[in-house]
Amino acid sequence: MRKWKIGLLCADLCVSCNSVENKIYVHLNYTIPCVRLLNATHQIGCQSSLSGDVGVLHVLESEANLDWVLKTGPNPPYMVILDSTLFTRSIMMKLKTGSSRVAGVVVVAPSSNPAEGFSPHTTCPNENSGGYDPALAHCNVTVWNPLGNGLSYEEYDFPMFSLKDDNDTQAIKQCYYNHNHVVNGSSPQYPLCAMQLYSHMSAVTDTATCMRRNGINFSLNPEIVCDPLGDFNVLASTRPLNYTDKGHKMGESVVIAAARLDSRSFFFDIAPGAESAASGFVTLLAAAHALRNATQEAQPNRNILYAFFQGETFDYIGSSRLVYDMENKQFPLDLDNVHSVVEIGQVGLHGESKLWVHTDPVSRRNSSVNEEVGLSPYLYPSHLLNTHVSDFSQPLPPSSLQRFLRARPIPGVVIQNHNSAFTNKYYESMYDNAEYLNMSYPPNLTPEEQLEYVTDAAKALTEAATIVARALYTQAGGSDPIQLQNINVTQMLYGFLVKSNNSWFQQMVPSDFAIHLRERPTNFYVGVTQQHSEPTLLVQYLLANLTGTTVNITQDNCQNQREGEDDKESKHIYSYMWVQGAAPPNSTERVAFCVRSTVRLSKALSPAFDLEEYTSKDYSTWTESRWKSIKGRIFLVASHELEMLTLGVGVAVLIASLMLTYIISSKADILFSSGREPTAATY
Amino acid sequence: MNLERLPNEEKLSLCRKYYLVTLAFCQIFLFISPGGFAFLPFLWLVNVVWFFREAFLKPAYTEQLQIKAYVKRSALGLLLWVAVLTTWITIYQHFRAEWGEVGDYLSFTIPLGIP
Repeated sequence: MRKWKIGLLCADLCVSCNSVENKIYVHLNYTIPCVRLLNATHQIGCQSSLSGDVGVLHVLESEANLDWVLKTGPNPPYMVILDSTLFTRSIMMKLKTGSSRVAGVVVVAPSSNPAEGFSPHTTCPNENSGGYDPALAHCNVTVWNPLGNGLSYEEYDFPMFSLKDDNDTQAIKQCYYNHNHVVNGSSPQYPLCAMQLYSHMSAVTDTATCMRRNGINFSLNPEIVCDPLGDFNVLASTRPLNYTDKGHKMGESVVIAAARLDSRSFFFDIAPGAESAASGFVTLLAAAHALRNATQEAQPNRNILYAFFQGETFDYIGSSRLVYDMENKQFPLDLDNVHSVVEIGQVGLHGESKLWVHTDPVSRRNSSVNEEVGLSPYLYPSHLLNTHVSDFSQPLPPSSLQRFLRARPIPGVVIQNHNSAFTNKYYESMYDNAEYLNMSYPPNLTPEEQLEYVTDAAKALTEAATIVARALYTQAGGSDPIQLQNINVTQMLYGFLVKSNNSWFQQMVPSDFAIHLRERPTNFYVGVTQQHSEPTLLVQYLLANLTGTTVNITQDNCQNQREGEDDKESKHIYSYMWVQGAAPPNSTERVAFCVRSTVRLSKALSPAFDLEEYTSKDYSTWTESRWKSIKGRIFLVASHELEMLTLGVGVAVLIASLMLTYIISSKADILFSSGREPTAATY
Repeated sequence: MNLERLPNEEKLSLCRKYYLVTLAFCQIFLFISPGGFAFLPFLWLVNVVWFFREAFLKPAYTEQLQIKAYVKRSALGLLLWVAVLTTWITIYQHFRAEWGEVGDYLSFTIPLGIP
């Protein structure tokens, strides 16, 4: 009984000792950090110190106000809070050079996109890993991303976090106005409101260093400090390919229809990628769906390989891997089997109705290549969209086709919505979202109604997909006109850019993936190799349903990749998926079924990591650092003098008590004699 | 162990033992293990501190001369080791980052997040 009471008392005390921490610190709930990425030569991104960086809060009012932070403010280091309008290159460069007085930067993300555009990517994306010689490579002819301010590719030695513009952030700003705000030139009095941010990154210097430190065996605590970026490419073909038969396939001629799956932004794991990624691959998915019946019934001469590449943002991870596998007989086709490439780049249309078809000037000097490029389908007038051929002498924009051209001259086109520079104002930034693509829904619609509502963006992309489908069919040797299947682009756009947990996606995925569908837009950041990226799996299931057929086999056979008990051959050619299906109108049980398709995943890890050439100039060497904890908290700090005073008083009390103990112990016989006289011996 | 209670011969044999053991191990470990020998000069330090009073501050007795010799030799060995270790540690801490690969292979613990 007693022990139980003591135990309860202790538990009670423990609860109350945690609440002291809650009285001092307010933890930040929603923290999006900027993390460190490394490549063969550089490290980019942010680093905090191991025990977090503490700084006095300062809400920056204007660029001139930077003086307070960098020179005149009396309480450095400062934690600078920036509104998104002040998140510009000039301010960030000044903060970077004055980083001894800057403890960190917090960017408040706005709820609507800035009107003038913002792109933290470089002006010339992927300039060192494309297919051109230096004469044409470094944007000498056209600057592709003129709005790019290169912020994502700088190195910062303070942490940078992003916060949403919500009540928590208002509370933080209120703390600043209550304690730290400068009134009429007088410096603010202690205690001041401060913030501590933890985002310590383990990797440093470059990929070679961090991969070496990953593999050291005899250190006392071996730790993995970084992981390569990568994921899987999604591939499908109109005629099945035997995946166990690698290398050159006799007599097989393939048109590769390519699109990119990934995007990025300045902060970690935020990549809405609406125009930079989703517009392209949704168009290709729609085109593949449109061609399903045509390629079954009236098969064209050549095979069409639909390729969705992952990791293209980071020096073409996916496409360089596919080309490498083709060159080294690790893939059922090789480069001799490739007839031509049709790539769909950024095709979001913002009210304009023009698509541009880009070709490569260098390979077209070769007349046999020039003939096969296949520009004629794009010259037919279409009723909503006009396609134009862009300038012959202009090199290709950043595209996966460049990696194929790096290996050998292959005829190819890249379809974009711009002629020279990008029209995308928010290339690779957190603002490249559904709002930018003009996906606006009328108010007061339920999610189901929003799923079915056809936005302007969907109409434009449907047109683009029709053009692409016809062009692909012609390029593959079929003859126009063909009957295209009806496609519904708006549901795809809704699923990828608004909410992936919707009824249409729910029907098409297996039940163990259905719990991973989210209530928010898909994140297109490629992430590290070990983690499966959400869009790859979604595109895999979608492509399987849109280009495959339903087969009537049992769940057991379906999940074992066979059509019958004795079938050993089908798994080399087809892939089978047991998907959830929809519930019929009268019941709640989903009717599951098996989809047979030619969809495969192929590894998208840069060849540099297989070859262990971590300083490679030929392949992507991007890695992402590991970290222990990412968190932030705000609290009030006292002045330095008060801290020293407290410490001094404590030390004085310690010394005084030691002296007192010594004095008492040396005079113990006098003090504790209790009045007894030393008795004289009486015997 | 209270040195006062020991007879002089035993004090001498202790001092000699500590000195010789350390000398032997230093010579062996110099060639075998990269890490172990760093701790052995502590036995020489023990020798110097423990036997200092015996060797220099007590009135003379027969074994004291030999004890004095061992204490002096231990002190010399200790000073030498301290000098070597301090130099090596300073060089290593300063240049490890610049040495890149060599620095990493020499280290038992590599700090995270800094070069």
